[in-house]
Amino acid sequence: MAGKLTVVIAQSPGKNPVKRQLEESLAAALLFEPGIEVSLVPHLYDLTPDHTGMLFLKSVRGDMVVLSWLFPRAARWIMDRSGVKGQAGVSLLKPAAEEDDEDEENDHGDESAADAESRPDALGAWEVPNRKVYCIDLRDKADVEVYLEEIRRIAREGSVQTVDLMGWIQGSPAPEQLQRYLNPRVSSGAEVAPSTSGNGDGNGAGNSIADEPTRRRWYPVIDYSRCTNCMECIDFCLFGVYGVDAGERILVEQQDNCKKGCPACSRVCPENAIIFPEHKTPAIAGSETGTAAGLKIDLSKLFGAPTAIEQAVLERDQELVADGREAVGMAVGIPKRRDHAPQTRDALDDLMDGLDDLAL
Amino acid sequence: MAGDLEFMMGKYAARIPGDRCYATNHMWLKTAGNRYRVGFTAYSVRLLQDVYFLNWSIDADSQVRAKQEIGEVESSKAVSSLYAPYDGRVTSFNEKLLNDPSMINTDGYESGWLYEFETSAELLSPAAYVDLVAAGWEKTQQVIKGQMNE
Repeated sequence: MAGKLTVVIAQSPGKNPVKRQLEESLAAALLFEPGIEVSLVPHLYDLTPDHTGMLFLKSVRGDMVVLSWLFPRAARWIMDRSGVKGQAGVSLLKPAAEEDDEDEENDHGDESAADAESRPDALGAWEVPNRKVYCIDLRDKADVEVYLEEIRRIAREGSVQTVDLMGWIQGSPAPEQLQRYLNPRVSSGAEVAPSTSGNGDGNGAGNSIADEPTRRRWYPVIDYSRCTNCMECIDFCLFGVYGVDAGERILVEQQDNCKKGCPACSRVCPENAIIFPEHKTPAIAGSETGTAAGLKIDLSKLFGAPTAIEQAVLERDQELVADGREAVGMAVGIPKRRDHAPQTRDALDDLMDGLDDLAL
Repeated sequence: MAGDLEFMMGKYAARIPGDRCYATNHMWLKTAGNRYRVGFTAYSVRLLQDVYFLNWSIDADSQVRAKQEIGEVESSKAVSSLYAPYDGRVTSFNEKLLNDPSMINTDGYESGWLYEFETSAELLSPAAYVDLVAAGWEKTQQVIKGQMNE
């Protein structure tokens, strides 16, 4: 048998009673599921890296299911940025609308594509431990039972994989190694986050992790399975949100420099890799496909929609003026490769960039 | 009516009345007092087909900038955001459409108007609008077919 599967319910930011009800029913039901340990944390996006909720998530070493009111891509990369890493587990739950519209085969095709980190020139995640993190969107279904079914399925999937892995390493681990492997939880996790299992009165699910207050935040989240490190976001943003790490990889350095409501950098990103999880446009909020409307055509362009760049410039100017600075319009940081196909980078580009770096 | 123009969308003749002005985002604007009534042209309606749902994201009496998003429309064939045609002020909405937008299809040039709008922008004449539609028709067809085949 594998260790326990950790299930984390990240609460909705508001106090919407319908959402609270789903969270609580789910938590209560999961308390009685064998092999599952359930915890509640506040809204993932609002957690600072040192919030007890995020510390708890970091302390979990084994497979984990995270249910949140966010698109799975958004949830995954929010956690990745805070050091909660893992391979993307594939949930079979799909938004209700998609299930109605598309045939099964299509659905599964999409999943495997998403799972395979499809873009060949993307940075990809790094330092990913050998465990799976499944992100599930609580907006997909209203029925608690559907989520329970899927969590049970994931728990079974996890135990099967463990057996496979044990066979594969062909080792004969010492008892304490085996113990560590089967119960990968570190003790500090239990300290910051008293487990709710064994507290079977059904009310215990609202434990202390969810109680530490959060404030509403707004910042970009980079999906590194799409990001090609093209640097157009850092060129475009004039508020000092972006930076690069020691390996010259783009990162969101100063999250809280970001201007609330402004998604401009997401619009200039040629790979659609920048997520604002709370933006009302699904493509910006991290939906897989971008169109919630399925097979209908989009006439927005016809009715006067600005291009993404025009929109981004409008939004940036608005924030600059609000800050008492001059609007810059199209004069600063406008992507140059915009009209070309997204994957125009080649070995020559890398070489040229390499030479530029040397000159510096 | 005399002075009306037509644009042939395949076999469908989109009527472009001669008694009003137009905007590049396929809206008509007809003088009503000191402001304009704004609605979808027959060209827009033909592309939308049956309108199911109309929603405004701004309040009545709001200052708007050209291309600012002001609402959305869903029809049997399409879903789309709606944008202000010019800088100006949206003074009121056609409340009757919010419960039943079918007048957009049955009487789009009169009772199916969308909102009232104040602007000092220079508008398109009927002939200029027909020219615009004609110039964009090939591309519009490609866009629609392209999206359908995705």
